[in-house]
Amino acid sequence: MNLVSEVLDEQLCDSKGKPAGRVDGIVLELRDDKPPRVAYVEVSPITFLSRLSRRLAWWYAPRDRRFGEGRGVPFRIPWTRLTRSGPSLQMDIDSEATPIVAVEDWLRRHIVEHIPGG
Amino acid sequence: MKRILDIALGIVTSVGGFLEIGSIATAAQAGASFGFQLAWAIALGTVCIAFLVEMGGRFAAVSKHTIADAMRERFGVPFFTTLTVVMLGVSLLVLAAEVGGVGAALKMATGLPIPVWAIPVALVAWGLLWYTTFGVIENGVSILGLVTVAFVVGAVKLHPNYGEVARGFIPSLPKEDAAKYWFTAVSILGASISPYLFFFYSSGAIEDKWDETYLWSNRAIATIGMGFGGFLSVAVLVLAAMIFHPHNIDVEHYQQLPELLSPILGRPGFWLVVASLAIACLGATLEIALALAYLVAQGLGWTWGENVKPRQDARFCLLYTVLVFAASIFSLVGVDPLKMTQISMSLTAASLPIGVLPFLVLMNDKSYLHDHTNRIAGNIVVMFISLLASVLAIISIPLQIVGSS
Repeated sequence: MNLVSEVLDEQLCDSKGKPAGRVDGIVLELRDDKPPRVAYVEVSPITFLSRLSRRLAWWYAPRDRRFGEGRGVPFRIPWTRLTRSGPSLQMDIDSEATPIVAVEDWLRRHIVEHIPGG
Repeated sequence: MKRILDIALGIVTSVGGFLEIGSIATAAQAGASFGFQLAWAIALGTVCIAFLVEMGGRFAAVSKHTIADAMRERFGVPFFTTLTVVMLGVSLLVLAAEVGGVGAALKMATGLPIPVWAIPVALVAWGLLWYTTFGVIENGVSILGLVTVAFVVGAVKLHPNYGEVARGFIPSLPKEDAAKYWFTAVSILGASISPYLFFFYSSGAIEDKWDETYLWSNRAIATIGMGFGGFLSVAVLVLAAMIFHPHNIDVEHYQQLPELLSPILGRPGFWLVVASLAIACLGATLEIALALAYLVAQGLGWTWGENVKPRQDARFCLLYTVLVFAASIFSLVGVDPLKMTQISMSLTAASLPIGVLPFLVLMNDKSYLHDHTNRIAGNIVVMFISLLASVLAIISIPLQIVGSS
């Protein structure tokens, strides 16, 4: 498998088929006397920004923490919990139970639900 | 039967997408200043956008990816970020011009100045996006947009010399005022080839769940819809060429636009121009705001869609909300919509290759399109016209700035 063309930047969806961000980064595990292995994929604006500029990511990371528990560091999904599903990669986790949708939730609770029709 | 109705609606929609403030204003300016001589620019722009829209629909129908989605996937974060920043910057100005265009129409209708209308227009546009579905926006605004056919009626009634009109379709060098000539040509190309249009169209194809059986409908919609849109623009150019050009009147204000029809159709002519302007610009406001929100949401993997309730895609809905209100600030502080139109259209032309060339790479990628990759003709036409528009823009924008100061 070609990790860059088939995994990196792919759309992720959760166990219910809802969009859950994109594969912002891939974490490899180096092993003695064996080829490296994919351990996790990362979904986080911190990882996204680090691909533009490390300094920007370093600046942003503490600010990401305010979105709640689990934020402030890149969120990692174990490779074993991903399968391919059409044009996306599917994880067997409900995104509501992860920090991936924290910003979406925050905006919904603090803004959208206060607007009529939201 | 259902499919024929779909095609008809699709054609009407793409006409609506084509004819907006940029096409109307730039065609009127070209006709007023240069007679029929710049008709070729409308033709080139129309051919290019017809190819691009067809490609956008085909891409979505075959690959099940939107364009923005695939751009992130194929070209990675740094490219996607650059594209998004450029598109947001340029299209926000176009959006501001459209909001200003609705304001200008309302000013003509009521006499109240444009800044008064900035926030109400933004509120109406936002309300339509927030409370209705993709179908309502797509079909409703575009059926109303058929009022723009009045321009064709007007142009035919003036009995132009069709031989002379036809000669305008052959590109020719300007006899005088070269800087203005090329700048106007660039504005026309930028107005016709709007990148937001094919991004929007590919998202629409995904929202409407297109598959490969739609390829023929897609081709018909793109060709006939864009062709008809270009035809309407030519009608505006013909009107301006016959009404303003003989008297050496340049189009410098929106208030001049009703004179395109009022000499021919009287008072109803005035109202037809006002209604055309208002509806076309409102429609474009909705499409651009959505297209930009689609671009960001798809590239970052958010939940997105006009058929989903705002509480289910909060980030997407708040993004178009911010864009619509940000665009209205320009009108609120009194920036002239016609100036905004010219600047934003020429910047669109200058930035075309950033969106169009990577899109061509995608359109030739078998992993997305299997047996439906581009033919050589489509590649060459789109590459040639978008590079030409960009080069002309980069040369003529500074000339125009020097010339007008």
